[in-house]
Amino acid sequence: MRAALIRLYPARWRARYGDEFAAILEERSLGPYDVADIILGALDARLRSRRVGAPTTNERGVDMSLRVGGYTAVLAGILVPVGLLAASDVIPIDPTIGIAMFMLGMLALLVALAGLSAFQARTHSMLIWIAFALPASGVTVTILGAIGMIIFEDEAIIAGISSWYIWMFGLLTVFAGSLLFALVTYRTGALSRWAALVLAFGSLAPLVGLVTGASGLFAILDGPLIIAGVVGYTIGWVGLGVAALRMLQPASVAARPA
Amino acid sequence: MPQEPGFGRFAEPSLLILVSLSDGPKHGYAIMTDVEAGTGRPMGAGTLYAALARLEERGLIEPLAPVDRRRPYRLTGVGATILAEQLRGLSAFAQQGLRQLGEIEP
Repeated sequence: MRAALIRLYPARWRARYGDEFAAILEERSLGPYDVADIILGALDARLRSRRVGAPTTNERGVDMSLRVGGYTAVLAGILVPVGLLAASDVIPIDPTIGIAMFMLGMLALLVALAGLSAFQARTHSMLIWIAFALPASGVTVTILGAIGMIIFEDEAIIAGISSWYIWMFGLLTVFAGSLLFALVTYRTGALSRWAALVLAFGSLAPLVGLVTGASGLFAILDGPLIIAGVVGYTIGWVGLGVAALRMLQPASVAARPA
Repeated sequence: MPQEPGFGRFAEPSLLILVSLSDGPKHGYAIMTDVEAGTGRPMGAGTLYAALARLEERGLIEPLAPVDRRRPYRLTGVGATILAEQLRGLSAFAQQGLRQLGEIEP
């Protein structure tokens, strides 16, 4: 009777609890209440065992954050620098296409920041959302500035300031925010640390290049710094995106006892 | 475990098990007798192990090495924290009910 009741439970459950469960049943006489209770317990264990391995709502949310954040980080890492260089006539692509690529890259960057932040926020909620806020604000201001440049060109639109200044302020905030996001990502260790370090360099180098170029100090450095920054920025975001996507690949799991 | 999702009809047995383990590790049969002595109601082995599996899965209890086929369980740090929160919540709820009944001073 006792053995038959234990066999109602799934094999995996018996492998884990069977021995101690059998020991308990041997210590007491079984009445109708006990038998009914064990049958219900076995039914519960079988229903639960079917759910083992099925992704929970939380797991699906994490997968979605990684997938969306990963793909858009790769996209942003390519489109933002290439679009910026094309819009500035540095590389031979139609500047209009360059602007479109840059705008699309900025939108991708906003989504990537949200996705990768949501993933890391599971363990470092406050830190990561602070690091999200700065670059996300920068992206928003940059997009508004770019739209202003298309509509108003060089006209002053707010307190004698033209859209170009708004765009440039937004862009500098994006780089400063990306630096902060990279440092926090390195700190959490949830994604690739080397990619975070490269992104930190890629975000810092253009800022330093712009300062040295504008101030005239070490002006010889501003060109190489900006180029190194663009390369680092691309590799950093693409690296973080690939690291996020690689985490979606199934890991090899040791076989459990049947 | 009224506020903990996923415990369903095993919420009350889970709370009773956590309380039983709060004074030290116990194996399944000792938990059953302890709960029965404390509540006056028997806890079936099926209910006990359904709740134990959930508590272990959530990291609120942990198994120790078995002794003669009897495996003791003990409360984890997280389990102790959750239990204290649950008991404080129940205590406040009980106080409110008693005040509404006029059994204690408002």
